Amino acid sequence: MKNIILKNRYTLLITVLIVYMGVLVTEGAITGREARVFDFENPYFDLNINNLEEFFEIEVER
Amino acid sequence: MDKFTLFQFYALLKREFLEHRNLFLGAPAVLAALILVAAIWIASQLEQAEIVKGMEYLSVLFDGLSPFDMAPFFMMLAIPFMITLYICSLIYLVNTLFQDRKEMSVLFWQSMPVSNFKTVLSKVVTVVVVAPIFYVAIIFALYLVGMIWLTVLGLINGVDLVGIGWMFLAAIASLLLIYLSTFIASLWLFPTLGWLLLFSAFARKTPALWAIGVFILVGFLEDFMFGSQYLANWVESRATNPNQYLIFDFHNVLDRLFNYDMLFGLIVGSILVAGAVYMRRFID
Amino acid sequence: MTNIVEATALVKSYGNFKALDGVDLAIPSGSISGLIGPNGAGKTTTLKSLIGLCDVEGELVVAGRDPRVSRHKLMEDVCFIADVGILPKWFTVNQVIDYVEAVHPRFDRKKAEKFLSTTDIPAKKRIKNLSKGMVTQLHLAMVMSIDVKLLVLDEPTLGLDIIYRKEFYDRLLNDYYDGNRTIIISTHQVEEIETLLSHLVFINKGKIVLDSQMSDIAEIYTEVLVDADMVQQADELKPIHIRTLLGKKSYTFEAVDKAQLQELGELYTPSVADLFVAKMSEDRHG
Repeated sequence: MKNIILKNRYTLLITVLIVYMGVLVTEGAITGREARVFDFENPYFDLNINNLEEFFEIEVER
Repeated sequence: MDKFTLFQFYALLKREFLEHRNLFLGAPAVLAALILVAAIWIASQLEQAEIVKGMEYLSVLFDGLSPFDMAPFFMMLAIPFMITLYICSLIYLVNTLFQDRKEMSVLFWQSMPVSNFKTVLSKVVTVVVVAPIFYVAIIFALYLVGMIWLTVLGLINGVDLVGIGWMFLAAIASLLLIYLSTFIASLWLFPTLGWLLLFSAFARKTPALWAIGVFILVGFLEDFMFGSQYLANWVESRATNPNQYLIFDFHNVLDRLFNYDMLFGLIVGSILVAGAVYMRRFID
Repeated sequence: MTNIVEATALVKSYGNFKALDGVDLAIPSGSISGLIGPNGAGKTTTLKSLIGLCDVEGELVVAGRDPRVSRHKLMEDVCFIADVGILPKWFTVNQVIDYVEAVHPRFDRKKAEKFLSTTDIPAKKRIKNLSKGMVTQLHLAMVMSIDVKLLVLDEPTLGLDIIYRKEFYDRLLNDYYDGNRTIIISTHQVEEIETLLSHLVFINKGKIVLDSQMSDIAEIYTEVLVDADMVQQADELKPIHIRTLLGKKSYTFEAVDKAQLQELGELYTPSVADLFVAKMSEDRHG
């Protein structure tokens, strides 16, 4: 088995890709993963991008 | 781990830096220089009184506030650096196992008692741990120049420098956030890292083309064979939304590091990195 | 005497082409062995497989290890210089020394610096700015400062001028070789290393065509300048090679009784170069 996999670069690549796909597909089937954007908490992002001036004023008025 | 192994690994990291110093030091240094020139140009367009007013404003704004709370304020300044780092890391990963085979120096590297595993590991550590250090150092140098500049201006114009000092502390604290962001982002993108290393070790020519081409092919194959698009979904969920590359809050760090999706990504990436290690035996 | 290299039935194929076609090789410890063959004969493939840089089929033990399984362990006992110019071009001379010192447990920095001080190599220059001869000198200095059992040299002086070539082998013999170490040199320029060798291996088309101690060569092979009237008898003794020399015919014989040959004419021991030509043409015709 090992000899076949390590025979040349192509057999090795194909083996790695099969394992890679196998793991992904199996995991996907088990967890029912769908295309989703993971939620990332980010309390500052809105403040900084959209309300930069507001942010300035809030802080200074304090 | 004994002392020799540590020194040996340090030498491997040093080799990566020396070979790719343009990507890890040159690129951010040029960027920092450009930003400095732009800042000088902007300052030269403004009235002195306006600058002093702005400084007084910032001094009041930052005075007495925790640097860690105000650090995210400076994350915005670092975004160009982080984008540069990601691009340079991609270039590095595609080329690193390919370049030495192309220029035949691979026979020299392989004639040294260094295992393929250590070689590939040194490249992973370079991207995940070492490269961000250089970027953060360059940003630090930029902030230092900025602080000296503002201090001199403040002294001349009698601005309260205590608040400016607080601002500088916040800038320093942001460096830690920047480092954590890039470190966690490269772990988050570990499958991409492994994929690129695999094809860097595999291709005889044009590794980037192989990496992209086979990726598309495998995506189609999955759809065709299993009727699923986990591969494409997987990438889509990790490539979109810039929020996942930035950490604005120290409290997020542990959540980002220890969760199921991160762990699974590391496992999948490790399969590909292991492939790259074994691929190293085919050098011609 | 034990053998540092033991290879049996090595086969390496690229598609239909067999680069190695059943190579049996035994290199005695402490020998200076020459692996000699024309271009494309399988020299580089053989040497690369000895240090685990080429996956071959067959049995192979080098310095007590299988190079296919533990290359990086083996490289603590074996050094390798390929064709010139394989040092990374962006390294400076000092960086090469630093690197080898850090990764190789048997490297002696003082020795390397001593060797380099006898050359004109500037320590701060990058490899890409050195001449071909200097790069080889540097590589040799590095390798000579590593205490290993086996040194493998693959066409080490290719593309160098005669002064560098001569100096290379002088240093190797005077400053490095101590009778315990084993050196394997591959080349197609036979004359240059003829006097160095204690063991001789010819390879052609992926097969070993001669494997002998230098001291045995004179006993096994005889060159005879055959007198004109003896040509017919000479032909009957099955020479492996015939060439014309100064109007006379020169016959090379393998394992034919010298007493018998004495009657044909003057006897010589063939030079390695002549023997090489004889063996290669025998291989082509046979």
